[in-house]
Amino acid sequence: MKTASTFRIPPEEMNMIRDLLGKDPTLTEEAVFSAMWSEHCSYKSSRVHLRAFSSRHPRVVSGPGENAGIVHLRDGLCLAFKMESHNHPSYLEPFQGAATGVGGILRDIIAMGARPIAVANSLVFGSLRHPFHRTLFRRVVEGIAGYGNPIGVPTVGGEIWFDDRYQDNILVNVLAMGVVEDRSIMTAKAPREGLLAIYIGNRTGRDGVSGAAMASRGFSSESGDLRPQVQIADPYAGKNLMEATLEIARRRLAEAVQDMGAAGITSSSTEMAGRAGLGMEIDVEKVPLREFSMEPWEILLSESQERMLVLADPKNVEPIRDIATRWHLSSDIIGHTITEPHFIVRNGQRVVADIPIAFLTDDAPLYTRPSTTLPSSPDRHPFPPSFSGTHSLSDLFRKMLESPNGGDPRWIYRHFDFEVQTRTVLGPGHDASVLDLKDRKGSAVALSVVSLPHACSRDPFRGGRLSVAKAVTELAAVGAFPLGMTDCLNFGNPENPAIMGTFQDAVRGIASAGIALDIPVVSGNVSLYNETNGKSIPPTPMIGMTGLLSSVRNRIGGRVAGPGFRLALVGRMGPLDLGGSYLDWILGEDSPGPVPDFDAGALNSLVTFMSAASMHGRISASRAIGRGGLIRSLLLFLDGDPAHGVFMELDEPVDPVKFFFSEAPGRLLLAYRPEEEFPLSDMALETGVPFKPIGYSASHRWMIRYRNVDLQRKEWTESLHDLKNRYRTSLSQYMEELP
Amino acid sequence: MTTQSPPSLPISARFLVGVLRFPGTNCDFDTFEAIRNVPGLEPVWIGHIETDLAGMDALILPGGFSYGDYLRTGAVAAQAPVIDAVRSFARDGKPVLGICNGFQILVEARILPGVLLVNTSRSFICEEAPLVVQNNCTPFTSLLSEGNRLSLPIAHQEGRYYLPDKDLKELERRGQVVFRYLQNPNGSANAIAGISNPEGNVVGLMPHPERRSRSTAPGTGGFLIFESLLFSLLHPSAIPSGPAGQSLSPA
Repeated sequence: MKTASTFRIPPEEMNMIRDLLGKDPTLTEEAVFSAMWSEHCSYKSSRVHLRAFSSRHPRVVSGPGENAGIVHLRDGLCLAFKMESHNHPSYLEPFQGAATGVGGILRDIIAMGARPIAVANSLVFGSLRHPFHRTLFRRVVEGIAGYGNPIGVPTVGGEIWFDDRYQDNILVNVLAMGVVEDRSIMTAKAPREGLLAIYIGNRTGRDGVSGAAMASRGFSSESGDLRPQVQIADPYAGKNLMEATLEIARRRLAEAVQDMGAAGITSSSTEMAGRAGLGMEIDVEKVPLREFSMEPWEILLSESQERMLVLADPKNVEPIRDIATRWHLSSDIIGHTITEPHFIVRNGQRVVADIPIAFLTDDAPLYTRPSTTLPSSPDRHPFPPSFSGTHSLSDLFRKMLESPNGGDPRWIYRHFDFEVQTRTVLGPGHDASVLDLKDRKGSAVALSVVSLPHACSRDPFRGGRLSVAKAVTELAAVGAFPLGMTDCLNFGNPENPAIMGTFQDAVRGIASAGIALDIPVVSGNVSLYNETNGKSIPPTPMIGMTGLLSSVRNRIGGRVAGPGFRLALVGRMGPLDLGGSYLDWILGEDSPGPVPDFDAGALNSLVTFMSAASMHGRISASRAIGRGGLIRSLLLFLDGDPAHGVFMELDEPVDPVKFFFSEAPGRLLLAYRPEEEFPLSDMALETGVPFKPIGYSASHRWMIRYRNVDLQRKEWTESLHDLKNRYRTSLSQYMEELP
Repeated sequence: MTTQSPPSLPISARFLVGVLRFPGTNCDFDTFEAIRNVPGLEPVWIGHIETDLAGMDALILPGGFSYGDYLRTGAVAAQAPVIDAVRSFARDGKPVLGICNGFQILVEARILPGVLLVNTSRSFICEEAPLVVQNNCTPFTSLLSEGNRLSLPIAHQEGRYYLPDKDLKELERRGQVVFRYLQNPNGSANAIAGISNPEGNVVGLMPHPERRSRSTAPGTGGFLIFESLLFSLLHPSAIPSGPAGQSLSPA
């Protein structure tokens, strides 16, 4: 009998399942396949391309395939981190969607045995002119706060972008990082048969049933109400589960741990066993339930939050369950690992599913979907940019500050407890966040989150490369050198060849930049089907990068402390292309010029220079040239006090639009005391980094003198008060009037 | 002999400071560390079902969340078994400090007067809050003087201090306001950031001193609060007597 799948498995995949099993699957088996073969769990469209990423590096302790990636810091101390998307649920129910996104990524870190020390986010919404997007935005921010604040993990940074192209599909990506001693690192791979599978955490309910499959489809007007497929967060139970799991890891009571996240019990049990070539037998009757009369398939697919599956030797069951009880958590033995590599599900005595695990993982469909790629950047935009001349610099700058994309993100981060754990020495508002590890050597780690939606929409390959280079530049700004990266790849429908082409390009871009700079990709996540009624989002990869500082005391903040500091530009100065820049987005011209690329050697020199200069304490503040180019970065640099302004005098002639607005990576603004100028320029010379003094910080003024390419003298003055006022209110003005 | 002996502290001084933990408390480690960083003070964990506080010289209720605060903040913790012991500890005149959620618990338990409502912005606020010290007659402000400014961060959604007008006047008249915001961030009555009981030994404040007690922190104003505690325990007689007047007992 060949009827349509109850779980919306495509007909051709249903045929594959029948061929593999040699029979029609039972209802429960079909449910298991629907989850494990979903794009979300199987990465069936993306996996072949992700092989381009390199996780090879002596620092890498654990790469892709585990709950989270881990790099070694020093003396056995390791850093676990990972980024994940929660786009689909957050559009349906923004508060719970965002909150469970944070909870889910935290549990991935905790499952490695690591104590989370920071979360960060990268958010994209439609325009705030639409009241609906104001609501989505507000509720997502509250949702992130609603989980991160109570569980006691600081939300230390993020990125925000508003763009009409995301009107029907918002992006909510969250990153978490944690610290772990190498001897306490947990694995998600079952080491042998005969281990008991212990369920700990909240009871299982009907929330989030089939969430993974839901997130593996586009939205359409016929979707109906999908809210029951969104999970509900319980940060209090989450905190208890965190403490319980970390205690289990510290006391080395477990052999393997995995979060019951997407596809719940199904994915955690099959993946833990499957990684070791073993099997798993589960009895759904043993699962602690919140509601009675749940069907076996509902129990298997439920994505109820705050649950972990622990594999342990029978002798450790009692201490583990004692720990769970002490932290007010439910627990029970729900199964055990077996030699036969099958996933066997019982409902009491009755076997309701028996599937070879390889069918769910190795034999899952793997698609090399057709793709079409566009020619790469320089050829695609053969015309020189035409911005200059039509607008004054002042007009352009004001336009930038009027959009919430150019505004102060303070409205967002004041919702987040970014200081709990008292590690946050540089928090939101700086280029990268810096966290004190509180060890004897005064170590500190830095974290940067980057997304460049517009650059990636202009040229996904260059955009991907640029994202990596920007993250490195931001780490350099605080005095850190890069350790490793994680990514979250948000794309539209992979069955559309043009979308698949942009996906491949972006992956190639990120991978090539990672290899050129020797930065391993240790974990990641792919979110496809960000489409509604056939319209997909632009390619939007996001990068999270971690870095290490020589010492917490050597960190460099991103705000000038007062007037009288010298200012300089360091880093490679050209070519200062404008394609994909914020200015390009504001003006929306047809031919903005190429998206800039970077030079790996020059970028590495910059990292070396900044690290060395920070050790000598020569730099008072520094800021990466980011969104809006030098001029907007300068305004952020002076954001410490309303009176902080600038006097800039450039002797060499410049093309003003490019000079002030290009976002080419690998350039930093520095502020330092006058007596540091000679040592710094010497150091720059030694490390081969261009160093160019441009002026100094001044009180109550904004004055820039330069000569254009025709050698005409120009002066650009602004009302400092007016600029700062625009910057401060352009985002918050949309939010504060809401009831 | 060229070595100088540290003059200020008797070597034997070691005061036990109980740090309370309710399920879900998340500023517990931060507070514990801040206490440990003050030589002379020794932090001790106190669980939520503890009923015996013998041996403790002072108590601190740290901030964060308790029992998830799904109900009114602090309301569940105020019913915990340990609270009766805290109440009699306070009645004995020993120093008790409630920080943020700890302050909320103290008002819910009626150990301090007033209530803490949702901020006027109705949102969580995490930012630096410049404060003015209004009263140095408490064990936690003894090294400060009236009018001193210090900057501590706030991080709360329910921090709007409220008392009916008549009681508020009484509170002010008796000098029970310990800290006031320079710029009122949350709509608190009279910009109140922290108060004491009439006797002055119990203090509650919304800002987080433990977050400004590390040399790597953006400021170090928090040290003063914990150093004051040590000073007060060493020199009980040096603290000016608590706010005068009749007691304003919690309703």
